[in-house]
Amino acid sequence: MRGPSRREFLKSCGTSALALAAVEMIPGTFVTRRADAADLPADGLEGLGSVALERARSLGATYADIRINRYRTQTVLLRSTPDWTTGTINNVPSVVDEERFGFGVRVIHGGAWGFASSASVAKDSIARMTAEAVAIAKAHARLRREPVRLAKVSAAKDTYATPVEKDPFEVGVADKLALLQQTSDEVRKVAGVFSVSGLMEQHLEERFFMSTDGSVIRQRIVQVAPEYTATARDIKTRKSKTRTFRPDAVCGGYEFIERAGMVEGARRVGEEVVNHLKAPSVAPGPKDLVLLPTHLALTIHESIGHSTELDRAMGYEANFAGTSFLTTDKLGKFRVGSDIVNVFGDRILPQALSTCGYDDDGVKTKRFPILKGGIFVGYQTIREQAHWIGQEESMACCHADSYASVPFQRMPNVWLAAGEKTASLDDLVAGVDDGVLIDGRGSYSIDHQRYNFQFGGDAFWEIKSGKVGAMIADVAYQSRTPDFWQACDLLGDQSTWRNVGLNRDGKGEPGQINAMSHGCPASRFRRVNVIRTE
Amino acid sequence: MPLGRDEAKKTIERVLSLRKDGDLEVELLAQTSSHTRFARNEITTSGLVEDVTLSIVSRREGKSGDFSTNDLSDAGLRDAVARATALRDLMPVDPEWVDTLAPQTYPALQKYDARAEQARAAERASGVKAALTLAERRKLTAAGFYQNGAEWRSIGNSKGNFGHHVSTDVEFSVTMRTADGTGSGWASSRSQEFSEVDPKGMARRAADKGVESAKPREVPPGDYTVILEPEAVAALIQTLQFGVLSKRAADEGRSAFSKEGGGSRLGDKVAHESVTLRTDPSDARVPGLPWSPVGGFGGGVPSGLPNRAVAWIEKGVLKTLYADRYWAGKTGVEPTPFPASLVLEGGRQSIEDLIAGTDRGLLVTRFWYIRAVNPQTWQLTGLTRDGLFLIEKGKIAHPAVNLRFNESPLVMLQNIEGMTPAVPAGRMLVPAIRSRAFTFTSKSDAV
Repeated sequence: MRGPSRREFLKSCGTSALALAAVEMIPGTFVTRRADAADLPADGLEGLGSVALERARSLGATYADIRINRYRTQTVLLRSTPDWTTGTINNVPSVVDEERFGFGVRVIHGGAWGFASSASVAKDSIARMTAEAVAIAKAHARLRREPVRLAKVSAAKDTYATPVEKDPFEVGVADKLALLQQTSDEVRKVAGVFSVSGLMEQHLEERFFMSTDGSVIRQRIVQVAPEYTATARDIKTRKSKTRTFRPDAVCGGYEFIERAGMVEGARRVGEEVVNHLKAPSVAPGPKDLVLLPTHLALTIHESIGHSTELDRAMGYEANFAGTSFLTTDKLGKFRVGSDIVNVFGDRILPQALSTCGYDDDGVKTKRFPILKGGIFVGYQTIREQAHWIGQEESMACCHADSYASVPFQRMPNVWLAAGEKTASLDDLVAGVDDGVLIDGRGSYSIDHQRYNFQFGGDAFWEIKSGKVGAMIADVAYQSRTPDFWQACDLLGDQSTWRNVGLNRDGKGEPGQINAMSHGCPASRFRRVNVIRTE
Repeated sequence: MPLGRDEAKKTIERVLSLRKDGDLEVELLAQTSSHTRFARNEITTSGLVEDVTLSIVSRREGKSGDFSTNDLSDAGLRDAVARATALRDLMPVDPEWVDTLAPQTYPALQKYDARAEQARAAERASGVKAALTLAERRKLTAAGFYQNGAEWRSIGNSKGNFGHHVSTDVEFSVTMRTADGTGSGWASSRSQEFSEVDPKGMARRAADKGVESAKPREVPPGDYTVILEPEAVAALIQTLQFGVLSKRAADEGRSAFSKEGGGSRLGDKVAHESVTLRTDPSDARVPGLPWSPVGGFGGGVPSGLPNRAVAWIEKGVLKTLYADRYWAGKTGVEPTPFPASLVLEGGRQSIEDLIAGTDRGLLVTRFWYIRAVNPQTWQLTGLTRDGLFLIEKGKIAHPAVNLRFNESPLVMLQNIEGMTPAVPAGRMLVPAIRSRAFTFTSKSDAV
């Protein structure tokens, strides 16, 4: 709840790159606990789960499920900065490991939800907390207008595991720090770089789900997310700029970090941050934008991802995240984008961060259309929501970020299909007379119904007469979701498509985080309002 | 799960007894929290959570390893210490490492209320019912959140330092939307005491705002005199905590408080002379800990410095910047606690006075989705939400369609024209403020 732990506090402290999450690794002969030690106990889980389900039934619950989950996260960081007094480079390392284990039990009693959770995974505490969940549901049932109704689900006895070539928790800290050090050293070879901060986050979730619908599901999800940021500054003008290299965070193993080209990209990152610091400010006004996937992913997330969440559209998030301009009367009719814009919700796309076998309702994951030819055709849903729009099945978007969090509707991977016609990045640029090429994430802000947004970026280049020119600075663009997507006139082909992962999406009260991917091609948008942020 | 002083001390001592060499820094956080959500005039989801986190930093000769667990069994503690220590021994030497803290004396802060810890769903249901009844009577749609709980926080280390603190927190917030979808109002209350939070009063305020904000008219973007209600002020001021008030960022030329040509702007006038911004953990109206929860980067600079009152800006002059023990030592200043428990001192005017003295301006209930767009000016962008009103000739003329702003809170603090007394908002204490020439850049259709 309110009081963050030290690491949660650090997480919120603007050092957002330091996504201090949780868990272990430790290599070679130093291994005190190997990766497989984090696996959920092979025996006994069903026995523990049965305690909750039987207790719930005996207390009159009409539905119950229990999740018994283990989470491991390891965050490795390295910050290289000149010493204040000597000017020599201080390479400051940090490793934060965390492991958490606990359960959350959810019931429906009298048509109302109840939920209770504890880190004490034992029969007595499971029975006690199940009774607490029932007591909550009972206390709240009289303030339901109609009972919670769940869409049908097939009982599943199944397992799912993220395909992993190289378990990230089996790779030594020394190797990880060495890669970050090598990267940092390479960036620093560029004159004018002030500091470099690198990070690798590795996350494992061992999920056990059991419900009164007869499902027993085990899943093992592994995610990795590397990145580093270079900073350049000019003491005279007190200006500073940063440039971030952020390979795609994925569901997968350490092999993705090894293949990410961290060192190979380092010189370019150093050169671009130095150039960015010297770059002139953009001349504001309407311009064409060519957006690279590393940038467009977040625009998709904010403008299409959140606006097509059914709970938002119905008012369930009105008190915090807000509602949506895509109200249910617009389903199947409203034009969001131009006719080349096709967007899917998807939890089966290989390597994407939200991909898993089953959601936290026990529903098998799937792919479904959200925008078809620019028209809004599909909401993200969970079991209790399907009937709100006359549907029989959930789209499997239920997720809780912890055993201690109430499962609710969270964004799946939401991706934009590549253009059908052959179009390279050069082709996109060639049609632009006056525009800006944008790479990476900058500051981003969107209103609470997902209309008006302002996005910055990490790096910007001027486009003049069909050619990419020099870097420019202080760029942000403002638009309105349907105006922006209807201004999309050309999508890059599959060769420009990248599966870009985001791992810090917040929603709900109490707040929960979520990770998902937004694959997309390089894309072109006509006459968007560009502002100068200097 | 309650973890009183004696039990917490015993647990930390169990951890410390496992030390083989070097030092151990330990933080233990136990929490009990329960909540009720509601939307569309009915309760939606609710929960009760009992949890615990034990963080151990093993330190020796410039190296540190950090491991955290929620397993407090003997085996769990042994494993955690071994893993933190194994990590430590794998690490290179940290050139910014500072010594483990010697025993400290922590202030005793009273931030606990038994009912806030123990209230369960039935007690919250009566508050929610009051809000839902009011919503239905006024033909509005309510959504909201009601949460209460307690945390037991302890720190200790192998040099003999120990601290323990119990606090409670209660929060109720509610949004009321009109049936035609053109009006939305919001109100929130937060306290360490359960009885201090008034769901019915908040529901009434949100309902009034919702009704008054319906059928808004467009006003053009541009520079306006604004009257920012306390929630709007808090949302801007809290952004200063992260980076802007950092001495290191300023010294290194990376912040709005960096001086052209080098150094920081300490001693400079950076805000209107009526502005005093300080940390005061002893003020019962804001959350506060006896010690600073943040040290420095990684495990090299442990947290645990005693918390105390610090004036960051005094009468408009930048007096202090946040420095951890490493940076304070490097630059020859006293280390400070992290800038939490913020208090922005207010004035003596009422919000009615501020409105009456405004020829043309905008009254802002709160902001949404604030992000920094320029580290040098600390220009932020964000949107108004849940009640924006045009003021003409000292009176509220009509509700206005929401706007996006691009403005720096530092400019807002320079352009202050008047303030109310400070009240709790956004986990700090801030006044409502009237400030001139606040820049809005585009219209938002959101309600």
